[in-house]
Amino acid sequence: MATEMRSAAGSRMELWHDLMQFYIREAWILDERRFRDWLDLFTEDAFYFMPRRLNVHRHETERELTAVGDLAIFEDDKTYLTMRVERLETGMAWGEDPPSRTRHIVGNLIVDPQPNGEVNARTAFILYRSHHETEENIFAGYRDDVLRPTDGDWRIARRTIVLDANVIMAKNLSVFF
Amino acid sequence: MVATGRNYQIIDLQTGQLDRSIFVDPDLYAEEQERIFGRAWLMIGHESLVPNTNDYFHTYMGEEPVILSRDATGRLRAFLNMCRHRGNRIVRTDTGNARNFACAYHGWTFSNEGELEYLPGEEEAYYGALDRDSLRLVEARVDTYAGIVFATWDPGAPSLDDYLGDARWLLDINFNRLDNGTEALGPIKWMEPVNWKTAVDNCSDNYHVPTTHLSSIIVQGRYRGLPRLTHEQQFQSEFKHMFVNGHSLTMRFLERPDQARQNHGVTAENREAFEEYYRQTLPEAERRLGSLRARKLQLGNHSLFPNGVLGFRLAHPRGPLQTEFWHFVVLEKDMPEDLKTALRRGSGNYNGVNGIFEQDDMDNWRGVTNSALTAMGRRYTQDLSMGVGHDRRHPDYPGVVAERYTSESNQRLFYKRWEQFMNAENWEDISLEPKTMGFEGTATLRG
Repeated sequence: MATEMRSAAGSRMELWHDLMQFYIREAWILDERRFRDWLDLFTEDAFYFMPRRLNVHRHETERELTAVGDLAIFEDDKTYLTMRVERLETGMAWGEDPPSRTRHIVGNLIVDPQPNGEVNARTAFILYRSHHETEENIFAGYRDDVLRPTDGDWRIARRTIVLDANVIMAKNLSVFF
Repeated sequence: MVATGRNYQIIDLQTGQLDRSIFVDPDLYAEEQERIFGRAWLMIGHESLVPNTNDYFHTYMGEEPVILSRDATGRLRAFLNMCRHRGNRIVRTDTGNARNFACAYHGWTFSNEGELEYLPGEEEAYYGALDRDSLRLVEARVDTYAGIVFATWDPGAPSLDDYLGDARWLLDINFNRLDNGTEALGPIKWMEPVNWKTAVDNCSDNYHVPTTHLSSIIVQGRYRGLPRLTHEQQFQSEFKHMFVNGHSLTMRFLERPDQARQNHGVTAENREAFEEYYRQTLPEAERRLGSLRARKLQLGNHSLFPNGVLGFRLAHPRGPLQTEFWHFVVLEKDMPEDLKTALRRGSGNYNGVNGIFEQDDMDNWRGVTNSALTAMGRRYTQDLSMGVGHDRRHPDYPGVVAERYTSESNQRLFYKRWEQFMNAENWEDISLEPKTMGFEGTATLRG
């Protein structure tokens, strides 16, 4: 029994370590602007979603995040995500040309393996962005991912990004989360 | 009211030269809040955002925080979100359902019809001497156009119908096509580092699209099968660019009556389904709008004076150098769910804080705004001379109509309208064009 528990704990630790490495790798990919490599981290049926976040009373916090079907900040499939990346490659995506300087700090990982082999993973992030001469943005929030084992690695099948913001204090969200 | 006696002359219609200090001057900005946002009809919401009695939606009229409430009798009301006691905000949530609003400071409580219903210690602390009737919430005039809610602070303002005037002849094509009307979703809210006027005057700037948005046009063509606007369409076509009562409108001709109207969200895969929808709804649209508007015309980019941008989207001023932008999507209620989903996703993907089109606008508008921050920049005027002398009245279309789809006529006239509002003592000094269009069909202001 004790051995089994140790082994289960060992495999949970291994999974946590594996996924933490996945997220650290992803952060570097984004900050090194290797956006084609970033796209490859998503499954073909991926859904990249950022709900709006409302000011509601404490007893109504179930209404705080808008549901799928309401207007969302991001509601992208892989094609829309690909359009965002390819646009940057044209050399005429002026909102990102010259490009932003970003730093993705990702942590607070919680992993929740599912019976179908997928893993629900939650991470917290701070995304720092510096643009042009003196502009700065700090975006904070969390990401709920559904990770699917694919070709010996993990792929993001679904990402929900929740920003800690109501009015987004930035000129645009031309960076990736 | 600040009576400055200033006589603004910021735009020369003959040369198209604009004094760019209007983008950064803090005194002028304060005056705009009184003379433009204090007088005009402003878009503040949509009926679908407050569908039930006692629903409220928190919005803004310029900088003024406003509670849009559907009171217990179902009537729409707009109140300044300000306790009449010390001035605290009485609503701090974005939406909700409430019969009354209690101030969190001292407990003054107002009904959603605006009455001061209750205050602690009324008899003891105030000795029963408080005149509660004189302390109602400050209320704006409210009216609706096809479900879109407008409000004005000015009792002397004309009717909303007259304020929109013949602009509605074209707006109806998008917002008033079907009996069941529209619903609005949103808003996405973000802070743009721009003067509010740059966001508005850009609305009918057909000139910038192929330059500013080329990267998005390329990938849209690649992945969504949408054709680019050709050089001929942009510069030589019969498409129209017109100006009515401060409102900027652009209009294209449909190639076929069932042509999918929107660009954002229509793809090579779903185009057929959109066309089927437009075929099915054409008889109803024709009954409501007449055959010309239902079958031939498509509303392009447009703005409603002062700060309604491209459909039901709002540019709320936040000081001369900041604008809080609200992006909504308006959908016809009768549209099948899969098509609504396509338009909703397209709307957020193309426009809004993350939109591949809109994100490229921001640095341009900021550059235009900030050029007025320096002494040397202010020494030179902004050049809005495109098409001077090539706009006039047109027998078939309302307002002042430019000969070309791409013109700066609307920009010049927008700043002229701004000048008129800023120099006016009251609404008697603000001109309104008589309605001349036929408004064929059964559609009315109310839907």
